[in-house]
Amino acid sequence: MDIAFRGAALFLFMFLLTRVIGRRELSSLQPFDLILLIVLGDTIQQGLTQDDYSVTGAVIAVGTIAGLQVVTSYTSFRFPWARRVLNGEPIVLVQDGKVIEKNLQRERLTHEDLAEQARASQIGSLEDIQWAVFEPSGSVSFIPKQ
Amino acid sequence: MADVPDAIVLKRDRDLEGRQYDIWVRRALLGLVVAVPVIALFNVFGQKPDTHLLVGPAASLKIYAPARLRGGLLYEARFHITARQDIKDAYLVLGTGWAEGMSINTIEPSPVSEASNSGRLSFELGHIGAGKSYIQFMQFQVNPTNVAWNRKQTVWLNDGKDRLLTYSRGVRIFP
Repeated sequence: MDIAFRGAALFLFMFLLTRVIGRRELSSLQPFDLILLIVLGDTIQQGLTQDDYSVTGAVIAVGTIAGLQVVTSYTSFRFPWARRVLNGEPIVLVQDGKVIEKNLQRERLTHEDLAEQARASQIGSLEDIQWAVFEPSGSVSFIPKQ
Repeated sequence: MADVPDAIVLKRDRDLEGRQYDIWVRRALLGLVVAVPVIALFNVFGQKPDTHLLVGPAASLKIYAPARLRGGLLYEARFHITARQDIKDAYLVLGTGWAEGMSINTIEPSPVSEASNSGRLSFELGHIGAGKSYIQFMQFQVNPTNVAWNRKQTVWLNDGKDRLLTYSRGVRIFP
């Protein structure tokens, strides 16, 4: 029972964390971010199962997290208001080749970040972009000018 | 103006109408997340030991132990007895809170005898001459499932059946 509570508490904490640290941090996985991710997983594991090495304990922990993930996903699918809270909403960063500065600042993105993402989508200049949308997943979608 | 991509609502996603305060909610929540480790620096979640000194006519007792702990932590409690008068048969008695949900790893030096005193842990330390000191070291580990808000950890120092000192303390154990 204790592991289920721990699992639920840590799930909620991690969920909150991913929602508040911002999409910018989540979208890019530099080598350091990858190391951080592994360290984070290891830290969470210790608080989750502590000295419990049993299969039962692992099943309870994984079951709790998987169950809560499905609940979150279903709530987001079923209720539009919850989607906004749980997933976030897209933000338009560029329209007709013009960067919307306040939206860029809000997500702590620079022109260089945007240009880098654009280059990855085979777009050489921000002026060639019709729409750039910062998606809830943390990636930037580009629609080039026709 | 070119067609707006599907599912994009300009008022909401470009002009951020109705979303002006989202950023402040996010910042406030992030502030809360960051506040936890900052608060932890001030020993709110343990495990820095406190020192308490009790002085009586026959003896003084200095207790060095953390009052805030977390599940799984290893910690030490130290009981430093200084006899001001001759203590013929010193007993260090610990309330049940010292053992409840704890693993007692080591008791050094080993007491002359151990017994239960109405459920309390009673350690017979033997004779402590006037002006002499006796230090009892105990090493504990908090069992991971042990959670307590304010569990009593009373300490008594007796000479035979005579009570010399009593100290009431509480321990808080975070999950």
